[in-house]
Amino acid sequence: MTSFQSTLGEDAGIADELAQSQREISIAEFFEKNKHMLGFDSGARGLVTAVKEAVDNALDATEEAGILPDIYVEITEVGDYYRLVIEDNGPGITKEQVPKVFGKLLYGSRFHKREQSRGQQGIGISAAVLYSQLTSGKPAKITSRPKGSADAEYVELIIDTDTNEPEIKTAERTTWDRTHGTRIELEMEANMRARSQLRGYMKHTAVVNPHARLELREPGLDGPMKFERGTDQLPAETKEIRPHPHGVELGTLIKMLEATESYSVSGFLQGEFTRVGGKTAEKVLNAFRDRHFGRELSWPVAASHEADIEDAIVDAVSNKGADATESFASGIVEVLGNRERTCRFELAEIVDTVADRVEDETGRTFGDTVRENAIEAAWAAVVAFDSDAAVSTDEAVAANGDVAGADSDGRDRLTSDLYAIVDEATSTRKDDAVIHGFSERLARRLDADAGEERRFRFTADELQRAIEDAADATVEYDEVSFGDTARENVFEALWALTRTVPDDLPKVKTVAADRDTASQLLEAMRETDILAPPTDCLSPITDTLVEAGLRKEYDADFYAAATRDAEVHGGDPFIVEAGIAYGGELKSEGSIDLLRFANRVPLVYQRGACASTDVVKQIGWRNYGLDQPGGSGMPNGPAVLMIHVASTNVPFTSESKDAIANIPAIEDEIELAIREAARELKSYLNKRRSMQKRREKQDVLGRILPEMAEKVAEVTGREPPNIDGAMARIMNNLSVDREVSGTTVTLSVENYSDRAEQPEITDILSAEPQALNGDASVVDMDGEWFLQWSPSVSAGEEASISYEVPEETDFDVNVDGVDAEKLTVNA
Amino acid sequence: MSSETQNPNEDAREQLIDLAADFYDQFAGGKIPELTLPTRTKRNIEYDPDSGVWVYGDRTSTRSANSVRGARKLLKAVYTIDFLAQQLDEDRSSTLRELYYLSESWDNTEAHFSDQDESNQMIEDLEIVSEVTREDLHMRPEESGATLMGPLLLREQTRRGEREIHCQKDVGEGGYQIPNNPDTIEFLDHEIDFVLCVETGGMRDRLIENGFDDDYNCLVVHLKGQPARATRRITKRLHDELDLPVVVFTDGDPWSYRIYGSVAYGSIKSAHLSEYLATPEAAFVGIQPEDIVEYDLPTDPLADSDINALESELSDPRFQTDYWTEQIELQLEIEKKAEQQALASRGLDFVTDTYLPERLDAMGVI
Repeated sequence: MTSFQSTLGEDAGIADELAQSQREISIAEFFEKNKHMLGFDSGARGLVTAVKEAVDNALDATEEAGILPDIYVEITEVGDYYRLVIEDNGPGITKEQVPKVFGKLLYGSRFHKREQSRGQQGIGISAAVLYSQLTSGKPAKITSRPKGSADAEYVELIIDTDTNEPEIKTAERTTWDRTHGTRIELEMEANMRARSQLRGYMKHTAVVNPHARLELREPGLDGPMKFERGTDQLPAETKEIRPHPHGVELGTLIKMLEATESYSVSGFLQGEFTRVGGKTAEKVLNAFRDRHFGRELSWPVAASHEADIEDAIVDAVSNKGADATESFASGIVEVLGNRERTCRFELAEIVDTVADRVEDETGRTFGDTVRENAIEAAWAAVVAFDSDAAVSTDEAVAANGDVAGADSDGRDRLTSDLYAIVDEATSTRKDDAVIHGFSERLARRLDADAGEERRFRFTADELQRAIEDAADATVEYDEVSFGDTARENVFEALWALTRTVPDDLPKVKTVAADRDTASQLLEAMRETDILAPPTDCLSPITDTLVEAGLRKEYDADFYAAATRDAEVHGGDPFIVEAGIAYGGELKSEGSIDLLRFANRVPLVYQRGACASTDVVKQIGWRNYGLDQPGGSGMPNGPAVLMIHVASTNVPFTSESKDAIANIPAIEDEIELAIREAARELKSYLNKRRSMQKRREKQDVLGRILPEMAEKVAEVTGREPPNIDGAMARIMNNLSVDREVSGTTVTLSVENYSDRAEQPEITDILSAEPQALNGDASVVDMDGEWFLQWSPSVSAGEEASISYEVPEETDFDVNVDGVDAEKLTVNA
Repeated sequence: MSSETQNPNEDAREQLIDLAADFYDQFAGGKIPELTLPTRTKRNIEYDPDSGVWVYGDRTSTRSANSVRGARKLLKAVYTIDFLAQQLDEDRSSTLRELYYLSESWDNTEAHFSDQDESNQMIEDLEIVSEVTREDLHMRPEESGATLMGPLLLREQTRRGEREIHCQKDVGEGGYQIPNNPDTIEFLDHEIDFVLCVETGGMRDRLIENGFDDDYNCLVVHLKGQPARATRRITKRLHDELDLPVVVFTDGDPWSYRIYGSVAYGSIKSAHLSEYLATPEAAFVGIQPEDIVEYDLPTDPLADSDINALESELSDPRFQTDYWTEQIELQLEIEKKAEQQALASRGLDFVTDTYLPERLDAMGVI
């Protein structure tokens, strides 16, 4: 990149000179030079991208209007160019909007919404228009008929790349046979080298949009390629959601703060974010306070100091009469004495409460000045610290946390308290002298930093720094160790003794104006536990329809699909779905087909860069019955695997939206979804394999055993034996036999398998059965009798029924409820 | 097991048909046809103190039509039974190899044998379950029988009638060829002092050329490597019926010890016939590992396969004697093996003039 900075010491005029060649670049102009960023880097790809953008828009528009999409795509060769026509049956676009939608980049309805939709930035279709105009010089021809309108609008437009504004070449009313919808016609320099991607895109779109009817005509096709609807069920309507507090960045937050109409931060939080009510807002605000103001450290009042404090208060109050003063001072001290610890703002509250009470009792007025004096005097006594009088190490050891520094002139109320806390928090192996040395240094440090009115107000960072410094000094001067764990423990113990202050937070405007404050708010938002965002902003395809979509477009033997529950990444909820089709007409050579979708849009290019591809390659597919050379990488076999990520904000690797970025939370869900569907595949394949083995065995044994029986009969000179029983036993089968003796018929079921079976047996008779002996029902159907019997037969057991019919009755038995492979019917 | 009845063919045939009838009954009873056989492995042979030979133990394996493999085996078994029954009916015989080729002519391709091992094994199976020997089933091995040379007069039932043959005077240098079924032989007269079984053709010829059979009244039996059943059977009969001591003279390597083992103790594959084939009293002459040391014979180093074979013999129940353990361990120690012909390094007459007389004397045979 060329540097536009002028260099010091050189000719000062250079900056001016350079400034003359510096000018604003329009977005359209920018695109013109960076076509690849939006997927228009080649003629082949440009065509696919244009189709993709137009179809995505058409699907979004129809769905939003609650219309089942009916989309027509036609590509024809026109001289050196290709003409692309896309028609939909959407709600149409008003005359005023047409130029903006198609002729202005970054114009759209969805960029600012937190809602799952295909398009987002409003670049796509206008980029296609721009690409067409740049390559062919022809305007885009748009016809749109809004629902309910008698006529359609016909507009020819180009984009003025200097201003990013549409320039209308022609605009007229016209008639159109569609009652509503939009048609766009673009001519562009292109080629059909990406034909397979184009067809793939259409097919894959049909898979994830089973509610859409699609039609593609292109020069390489003999007839139109049609994708019929698999369901009339429109995707669930999505709701727009406000951003989640965990999902915004500082810049966005500041922008939102600037734009909000709320006055207070609490109102802002509740009004602009999802999942933030009064309680959550309060939690965020307290976290914000802790960061903005710091927390106040509380201190204890020892019984032995109470008189001291009382004296101080009495001294600070004048002209209130001895009784009232005494009552006031002793009241405060009594409250303090009953409390474990108190911090500055709590003392203020206590003083206020006691003052009010004494006012009531005595009729004396305790004005603000008196109260403030009292607070100040009392607080000074509570946290008295004369650094010279700080008890020496020896004394402290002797006193061992008892009354320390009793001298009324040089009092130290801090060290002994800190000593107790530190001693408790650190390892018992630490020398008392070390702890005291550290406590003393910490007391000195905290006192120095106590700040205005000696409030002892610290943020976590400040407190930490004080502890670090005191510890470092202890290490340096006392030549002892004071490790990270000890420091951490001391911090935890002290931080637990701090209190959130009740100060009023700055208003929204102030927060917005100060980056640091906004950053404190953002941190507070992120730190607070907040419910995951609602998921009604998402519209997963659902496992049923994923399967229906695959079933519709792929002729396979087996289908499975899984839809995961919603998860959150960076405040944006997302849902991952996976589907698998296996066998049938799918090609069995080479690796499986991987279909990737984001918000129902097929991802055509950059498969290798996509998180979903990475996940598929990491899975050990051999476990699931698919061939995987080397045990990793793309599995082989006749299978199609589809992955759909639906989110209010799918993280792509680039603006051309071809590949999903490698976000661990999303990768995890993709993996779980695939594994869920793959488990079904595995059990299907296992079953199929064992069935196939069984079938092969049956084929071979079914041939060999009768031959063997025949030969045995030949060798022994007897009649061929009945081998059905042996056969059924060998096949682990269920054998259904009929024995007719005179007019008595016995149907029996023998279960040679290793599990219980419940066959549904229907015996169709040409005469009415009599003397039925067994748990079966008989229905007369036009001269035929349907005898229905469904016995439960445990492994190795036998069941039978019998009945009487005239001789020469015809039988026809039908057995359901048991796999054909496991059934031997001889009846 | 030998055919003692009036019509051995009919007897054998009936045994086979009974086997087929078993299958028939299993089918008719709704059961899966199966065939149970003793497991034919080293681990499943045990010493039978009554007969002094090694026989199959209690382990059995079952061939069941429950699996595709088993069903194919049984189908082949039935076809083979059919063939054998027919062969016995017509009083004809065939070789094991012929059976293999013959199966190709069966109408059912599933019944064709895939290789000769399979057909050989099938005959062994049928022999075991029907308790009729291969010879009585009229199945011959491919190789021509081994030979005898020595002062023995016998009568053989041939296709062309009975023949009386003296195994020195009536035969050429090649000796008397043992028929496939030695039970058709009747011993008439002999002047034999002992029976000397020799592994290699070269050594056998050397003994004959040096007139060892004449000098020591010995019957030289040529084993021709791993001895055929007929050879083992006739050796046993010579021992049992004529009460002759039997000694075995082989190379000094692990494979030759197995040759001795099959003469003396019975082979693993035909342990069901041990009582009928094995001569437990047969003694081992050499070459012993000890001889390699004592006579300082020219040697070859032991190959890995030899070492494995020796170690396997150490765990072979047939070789669990002090003598064999000592000899095998000695050989593993010296890591050498020697052929019978190595004795020629001391001169062509060394074996007949020195080695054998010394050894046989030491063994108490002469």
